[in-house]
Amino acid sequence: MLEVTLYFVQQLINGITIGSTYALIAIGYTMVYGIIGMINFAHGEVYMIGTYIAFMAITGLSMLGIEFLPIVFAVALISSMLVSSTFGLAIERVAYRPLRGGNRLIPLISAIGMSFFLQNYVRISQGARDIAMPSVVTGGWNFGPEHGFQASISYMQIIIFIATFISMTALTLFISRSRLGRACRATAQDLKMAGLLGINTNNVIAATFVIGAALAAVAGTLLGMYYGVANAYIGFLAGLKAFTAAVLGGIGSLPGAMLGGLILGISESMTAAYFSTEYKDVVSFGLLVLILLFKPTGILGKPEVEKI
Amino acid sequence: MRNNLSSALFAAGVTFILSFPLMGLQLTTEGVNLIVATSPAATFGYIAAGVLAVFFVQLFKEQILAQLGKAKPRPGTISNFLPTDATRAKLIKPGVLLIILGALMWPFIMERGATDLATLVLIYVMLGLGLNIVVGLAGLLDLGYVAFYAVGAYTYALLAQDFGWSFWACLPLGGLLAALFGFLLGFPVLRLRGDYLAIVTLGFGEIIRILLNNLTDLTGGPNGIGGIPKPTLPAIQTDPEFSVVGLEFTRRASEGNVPFHEFFGMSYDPASKVVFLYLLALLLVFLTLFVIRRLIRMPVGRAWEALREDEIACRSLGLNRTAIKLSAFTMGAAFAGFAGCFFAARQGFINPESFVFKESVIILAIVVLGGMGSQIGVILAAILITILPELAREFQEYRELMFGLMMVVMMIWSPQGLLPMKRPHIELKQE
Amino acid sequence: MKKKVAQKVLGLSASVLLAGSFSLANAETIKIAIAGPQTGDVAQYGDMQVIGAEMAVEQINAAGGVNGDKIEAIRYDDACEPKQAVAVANKIVNDGIKFVVGHLCSGSTQPASDVYEDEGILAISPASTNPEITQRGYKMIFRTIGLDSHQGPTAGRYIADKIKPSKVAVIHDKQQYGEGIATAVKKTLEEKGVNVALFEGVNKGDKDFSPLIAKLQKEKVDFVYYGGYHPELGQMLRQAAEKGFKAKFMGPEGVGNKDISQIAGDASEGLLVTLPPAFDQRPENKDLVQAFKDKSEDPSGAFVMTSYAAVKVIADAVAATKSQDTDAIQEYLRSHTFKTPMGEISFDDKGDLKGFDFEVYTWHADGSKSSVN
Repeated sequence: MLEVTLYFVQQLINGITIGSTYALIAIGYTMVYGIIGMINFAHGEVYMIGTYIAFMAITGLSMLGIEFLPIVFAVALISSMLVSSTFGLAIERVAYRPLRGGNRLIPLISAIGMSFFLQNYVRISQGARDIAMPSVVTGGWNFGPEHGFQASISYMQIIIFIATFISMTALTLFISRSRLGRACRATAQDLKMAGLLGINTNNVIAATFVIGAALAAVAGTLLGMYYGVANAYIGFLAGLKAFTAAVLGGIGSLPGAMLGGLILGISESMTAAYFSTEYKDVVSFGLLVLILLFKPTGILGKPEVEKI
Repeated sequence: MRNNLSSALFAAGVTFILSFPLMGLQLTTEGVNLIVATSPAATFGYIAAGVLAVFFVQLFKEQILAQLGKAKPRPGTISNFLPTDATRAKLIKPGVLLIILGALMWPFIMERGATDLATLVLIYVMLGLGLNIVVGLAGLLDLGYVAFYAVGAYTYALLAQDFGWSFWACLPLGGLLAALFGFLLGFPVLRLRGDYLAIVTLGFGEIIRILLNNLTDLTGGPNGIGGIPKPTLPAIQTDPEFSVVGLEFTRRASEGNVPFHEFFGMSYDPASKVVFLYLLALLLVFLTLFVIRRLIRMPVGRAWEALREDEIACRSLGLNRTAIKLSAFTMGAAFAGFAGCFFAARQGFINPESFVFKESVIILAIVVLGGMGSQIGVILAAILITILPELAREFQEYRELMFGLMMVVMMIWSPQGLLPMKRPHIELKQE
Repeated sequence: MKKKVAQKVLGLSASVLLAGSFSLANAETIKIAIAGPQTGDVAQYGDMQVIGAEMAVEQINAAGGVNGDKIEAIRYDDACEPKQAVAVANKIVNDGIKFVVGHLCSGSTQPASDVYEDEGILAISPASTNPEITQRGYKMIFRTIGLDSHQGPTAGRYIADKIKPSKVAVIHDKQQYGEGIATAVKKTLEEKGVNVALFEGVNKGDKDFSPLIAKLQKEKVDFVYYGGYHPELGQMLRQAAEKGFKAKFMGPEGVGNKDISQIAGDASEGLLVTLPPAFDQRPENKDLVQAFKDKSEDPSGAFVMTSYAAVKVIADAVAATKSQDTDAIQEYLRSHTFKTPMGEISFDDKGDLKGFDFEVYTWHADGSKSSVN
């Protein structure tokens, strides 16, 4: 009985970790969507670039002999956020701004083009091989009987939960309290009107992309440290899953992204635990279809009001 | 000038951050350890040159623009370079005839490689035209279109493998089955809107692909299905007895069939197979074009567009929104099914790798690039999207990079697509 | 290495263009197409093929060519996509090339080989291990690598006879290669009466295997066979070590790559791998290995030497038959032995290597390996 419970708890922890990683990336999607109503298809690529930069920073520091954790974390986070947000800025300038106001499918295609471009930019400049880095944070807690099935949680998993939670809270506060956050909400509600009222909507939208990209960099850094492996193509799958999580929770809603990520992560780990790993994606996409059938705008999404 | 200087500095800084860490530094391995190495000195030269170029271009933007001719060129479409409507009307008939003639002649004047490539283009034209119904005409964003393509392909592959059915029997069946899938999927999801519909269709596409991969007993799983027979040309034989036979384009025909070259008493030419496949694809494309052109002019086609433009107005006019959407979805799926059937025949081997999400994206790109709803545009875009990576073969590993860049550039240069759909309309002249 | 390739691109593409336009005038060169993924997510394997084949071409030409004629290697990129593979095959036909070293992915080799067989083009795949490819009675299709159906039983026998585990899990990546080997391993194990508790697929590209590892822990599995490539197994080893899961792992040659030690670190110590004999470790290949190192290329990749051998075999056969008639050459290939960096090799009737054996190695955390015997 104990073993059954421990096993369940272990799978729950695994699911929550996977879910948090999805949520961390999903926040970026939801943020951009909430403000300009567009899917940033290149978001996954920004996450991938964030991972690469973090790897460079951490490897560089360890070559210099610096392995004091807080410094490693700070340098990796700051450098990857800086580079990623610059990419976010560039993506907005090149692939979105010239196309604003037209049909919504058009920026979608240019963003997909952008995502191909970035994938190949990194593949050519950094090579096609997988790069791997040793774990920076090791260890964790085990609980359960000495000679039986033990459930465990690693320190890195805990860091990921906390980071996801902090990012989400900080972002929620930023959106609801700060001046720029208010401008964001105004722009989200009515772009033209916000412009008329003296908000520089161009800057607000650029800021949205920058913040979204910075969050992707946080995800890239932490997940890079957790998994320790990257290649130029990791952004696609991560982006797809995060996008699914964002829609599941109700795209445009920050707590929704968190909830969607967790549901997706837990459903995946439970499918793998009690059924088969092969079918975990079938189950998670099936769940998505099912939830959207009953809540057509996602779990926490606002119901769309038809304007007449 | 000062304003320019700060923006130039900013732009140069951005360029530096975009290029320096990824191009200038390299994560490589030494033994089994990861290290950061610097790139060769030349790379830093390129980075510096790039940063400086951006800086000076930004700094002297106005002067440069003035040199280039007063104002920025307006983004336009190809239509801007085309003759006006009146001359166009006159040109249309001979133009279309010329294109059809050219398409028919193509395999006889071009080499084998070009013919085969053209066949691939035609498959994408078919897919593009089909998805155009869903996205371009009915305005429903479908990111899982490749699922129906897979259904068509596997229908033919499985029926040919297990029951020895011929291509001609499977073609309508493949379309029908794909349409059925479209119908079944469409039924529950069509009350979703916009991006929600997009993600559900995406999920559906993935589910189909994973199932194809997992149901090894039925579909061969990742091994796929090989040895799919090529289509035959039905002919009437009179020699031993009066019967219908399939002409095969191989050196030796399988049982019950006759090789094409023997039937006509010619010597065997391996290229004839490629030519036949091309002509068959062309026939299918013409059929697709014809059917869709008819559909657009029928009430249901008008209803698709009306729904895209204004859902609420449609409902208030008493149109059944679910039925309309469902018909678009089903129709679109059917054409993907035909295309899939043909694809399986052309490949001779299919596995789930051919039906990945990227394929859906490419088809969608064809529709959007073509100008959403415009059939000629879709054909043009299909040609462009398929040929571009082929032409870019010379760039070897830069191929996909260029492809991505072209997608962005084309969207910016011509956001309406290559040839936006034009309806017959009257313009009031303003005096 | 990438950088170098990048800088060569302009020159190369120019030479490809030239080659295309002078193909008729210059009938003295022997053109060999190198068809494989140069872009896409398996481009790293395409790199191995390209460096191996191009090294062979370079060295053969430097030694005077084939009967005085030069070999020319032309790259074709199929990105490992079946539809592009057919397009590439038709392009090769079109360009009048008679010899192909490729393709890499079995899923590409299979549809492309239909075209080659039809057109009498001789294709030698340095990497496609799927048994199906040579089981269709084709004359023109060869390979310089072993088959999944050989490797699986080797691994299975070793597990059953030497390790004798109590509970085995066989995991694979749901790809043609991985699932093929995993199925063969499972079959051998069951024939030998070993208890296979779990046979399950994971998704290629996945990063998080913690649910699976917890499941293995709960099932008290003490031996895991993984059919697939190194990125996934590396992650699995790493996460298993973090979770304190102590079963022994084993994989096919797709995981036997330095990168696995880089990914899994210390957790890769003691991993069992079935590998073709390590050609770059052979004393007689010392000069060749040095030649790769001089160009700062890595000769240890799984398909480097097999690609080199494929080119060498074609060159030798052309030299011996004094013709580029592929029909004569395919007969010559089936009836002679060839001296290559892979040792003396010969082909059986189906086009597979004769006596190509896999050996079991123990992998070490520093990326080296040692034979278990």
